[in-house]
Amino acid sequence: MENSKAILVDITKCIGCRACEQACKELHGFPLATEAKLSTTALTVIEERGDKFVRRLCMNCHDPACASACLVGALKKTSLGPVTYDASKCIGCRYCLVACPFNVPRYEWSKLVPFVKKCDMCFERQSKGQPPACVEACPTGASIVGNRDQILEEAQRRIVLDSKYVKHIYGEQEAGGTSVFFISDVPFEKLGFVAAPQQPMPVLTANALGDVPTVVLVGGAMLSGMYWITQRRRQVALAEAQEKSNSEKGS
Amino acid sequence: MISKLLSRITLWRAIVALIFATGIYAAYARFALGFQQSTNLADPQPWGLWVGLGTLCGVGLSAGGFAIAAAVYLLGFERYRPVLRTAVLVSFLGYLTVIVGMMYELGLPWRIWHPIVMWNRHSVLFEVSWCVMLYTTVLALEFSPSLVEKIPWVRLRDLYLKWHHEILIALVLIGTVLSSLHQSFLGGLYLMTKGKLDPLWYSTYLPSLFYLSAIPAGLAATLVAIYLSVRSLNVRLDLSIMSEISRVIAPLLCIYALFRGVDLFTHDGWRYLWMWREETLSFWLEIGLFVVAPVVLLSREKIRTTPIYLYWTCCLVVMGFMANRLNVSITGLQASSGFYYVPKWTEFALTFATIAAAVLAFRYAVLYLDILPKNMPANRWIADRAAEA
Repeated sequence: MENSKAILVDITKCIGCRACEQACKELHGFPLATEAKLSTTALTVIEERGDKFVRRLCMNCHDPACASACLVGALKKTSLGPVTYDASKCIGCRYCLVACPFNVPRYEWSKLVPFVKKCDMCFERQSKGQPPACVEACPTGASIVGNRDQILEEAQRRIVLDSKYVKHIYGEQEAGGTSVFFISDVPFEKLGFVAAPQQPMPVLTANALGDVPTVVLVGGAMLSGMYWITQRRRQVALAEAQEKSNSEKGS
Repeated sequence: MISKLLSRITLWRAIVALIFATGIYAAYARFALGFQQSTNLADPQPWGLWVGLGTLCGVGLSAGGFAIAAAVYLLGFERYRPVLRTAVLVSFLGYLTVIVGMMYELGLPWRIWHPIVMWNRHSVLFEVSWCVMLYTTVLALEFSPSLVEKIPWVRLRDLYLKWHHEILIALVLIGTVLSSLHQSFLGGLYLMTKGKLDPLWYSTYLPSLFYLSAIPAGLAATLVAIYLSVRSLNVRLDLSIMSEISRVIAPLLCIYALFRGVDLFTHDGWRYLWMWREETLSFWLEIGLFVVAPVVLLSREKIRTTPIYLYWTCCLVVMGFMANRLNVSITGLQASSGFYYVPKWTEFALTFATIAAAVLAFRYAVLYLDILPKNMPANRWIADRAAEA
């Protein structure tokens, strides 16, 4: 995934102008009123935490829980970086909401034909070579986009060079790595970031699913064996009974 | 005429009518008004009562079918044969309630067929959906002779029953494997909630724990169904078979408890055992209902051999099992989501109506099909005596 894209959000540079929110809403045709939390009409929001402005959006994980959870494969990790959602496949089971370690996907609870809504890092724009709308709108460079390895290098460079930064790139290890990174001068747990597992989420179920062929083969063989023993016993009992009745007749 | 109609109104009939009336309104609310009007579900709690009670408990309490079928056909425990059809019927109806439940649980139920053609083999839910489809088919086939033997066309009937006899063992074998996978996978769904599900319930062994708890619970549910049939459906059955089956339940519960205990101590779960929190109270309520009380009660000869005591003990097992599944799907996720989910009354109404429909179907199946041996109807005795005289 050498041309995989990633976003870096530098919380120290965000001034809370909400240009990213507005650009996102305009692009998707959502009502422009600002919202406090992620919703089906706000795929990115600025949350105010003390004097800090924390942008929230889908982390577009490298190995996403949602994509492995989705039974019909509506959610997919693209080689470009974004995790996309194919509404035409979705059956509305909402397992992606259960699975997401960052609690990002939103569901259209009020609609009669409800779908899942989440940021897809402007997959369509990016596949045309354009930056995501939010990044393009950011006036201070708090959000930047680029190739994932270069973006990660830039994040590392900043936290090493400037001692004000917390020595942690949120998204580098979280859920096995994401395509959206955060750097900050305030510890992440104080900004409402969840302590996500430090491993790719699909690994959690891969082992259980990997056991299936073994369970089927071993279980099936054991049950067949038991059935064979049961049948054999029955035959032996029958033969013995017959022998007994024969010998009784003979005597 | 009217007085005759009025005399047919009994307390139970009124309750059933009320359950269906509220259920119909709830279904209207779900499909005409949407999730927001009919449920208290929200983004932090995307799965609520319909999944926790309807699906997880519906499937779990249906485990009696495969357990008894495997015992009779594969292990040769012929003494369980009199209740085999009851166990299969309970499972079959249980699975049907799960499928009906999906019709209102899914956001886009008209796309329920999608997993047949759109595959994601990395998804536990994908495997679950296939297990539901395949095992319901197996259960329908296992149950089919009860219906087919009532067909008046002898040749067709015999042809079907002969064919059925030939594939029966294969069916039971496939059914046992599928059902075992399905029970485990329901626990496997929650493997993905690492970091969200409370440590008292999260475990990498959730699949095994779900499997081990489903078998005793499924057997208990079958015993409840048998007892109620004998009580109210004119069924004639030697109830010693109930104590026979109940002897297996306590050891199965002990195996589960042992596994659960070892599991809690091998990860951080045990630290939470004595904390004063809602989750810990729910945990102990669950363990008390599902393990401690039934194991103590079932160790007493008098309880095992008295049908009414045994019935109530099995009810405890069923309730404890439900507590476990609701704890995994609701209570255990509350703290991390910061959302306090209490189901809306319409959620209860729709679930209860679905269960009531299954109970009614069970009742009519026992009355009109040969599920359990029946007493002669009382009036026929009188008629016979009159004829004799």
